[in-house]
Amino acid sequence: MTWLKAILLSFCRYCNETWFGHGIRDSVWLFPFVEIFHLLALGVLGGTILLVNARLLGLRFADEPTSELAQEVWPWTLGSLAVMLISGFLLFSTEAVKMYGNWGFRFKMTSLLLALIFTFTIHRRITLSDEGSIRPVWRKVAAVVSLLLWAGVGLGGRSIGYIG
Amino acid sequence: MWFARFLQWLHDTQFSTTMRDSLWAEPLVETIHVLTLTLFLGFAVLLDLRLLGVVLRRRPASEVLRQLNPWLFGGFAVMVASGVLLFCGDPVSFYSTVFFKVKMIMLVLAGLNVLIFNATVGRRTAEWDGAVTTPTAAKIAAVVSLVLWVAIVAAGRAIAYALPPP
Repeated sequence: MTWLKAILLSFCRYCNETWFGHGIRDSVWLFPFVEIFHLLALGVLGGTILLVNARLLGLRFADEPTSELAQEVWPWTLGSLAVMLISGFLLFSTEAVKMYGNWGFRFKMTSLLLALIFTFTIHRRITLSDEGSIRPVWRKVAAVVSLLLWAGVGLGGRSIGYIG
Repeated sequence: MWFARFLQWLHDTQFSTTMRDSLWAEPLVETIHVLTLTLFLGFAVLLDLRLLGVVLRRRPASEVLRQLNPWLFGGFAVMVASGVLLFCGDPVSFYSTVFFKVKMIMLVLAGLNVLIFNATVGRRTAEWDGAVTTPTAAKIAAVVSLVLWVAIVAAGRAIAYALPPP
């Protein structure tokens, strides 16, 4: 895995030296400003994910087809995810090399990768499937897996500031 | 001033001291406060967007209100409880920042907005539930809510930067 470490570290070094990395680092208010966008998008992204998973678990909108509900909030999931990724990358670029060694950040990025893959493949396919074509238990399993993966992203993110 | 004395008294209580000195209390409570945004802010935004007629349009507004409100208020209760705990940990410093005061004022305004909505256009959802567009009054309430919550999150984040160094 040395090659992977070398690639990631050189990527972090590169990000650290970008003009936006420098710009945000050198400004007093830009970092908090970008952070606010990250927080606001967290609310919307988390809200849509919670709602769809609550539907899969049968806890909210139990009378509505899951696929319709999922389709209606999907643009907001994608939009807030885009804001999260962009603002997150900007924040990362201000201390990318430090983040490379941070276990909270490593955990967050691993969880994020898994959460994204799961959301865009299995989870999406299950939410859009016809009611009854997939056994209810698997719909619930998909919801729990999704919630656990996204919780990992959130908790990993919170831990960055506290652990080295 | 009595309020300053109250804050100082709160600061000196055993509870406040424990919140301040404990290694895990503040990170734990702050994590709860921040991550509950997904439930509270997320559902509040979805509800406001429904009132604006841009999301969940095929569902009657009354149904969306009924489905989202219990979790929305549950999330709000967690936000308030964890927020109060954070405040108790360092009340004098919190109150010394302008952002904290602004945030509290905006929270009151957001609460008034909900009360006014529920007492007026929100009471008559049955009348406009099936309509293609939502009433202007509902849209105004939604915009006021969105603006206030964005500002409240921003002010909340700013508090941490404005706190005097320990």
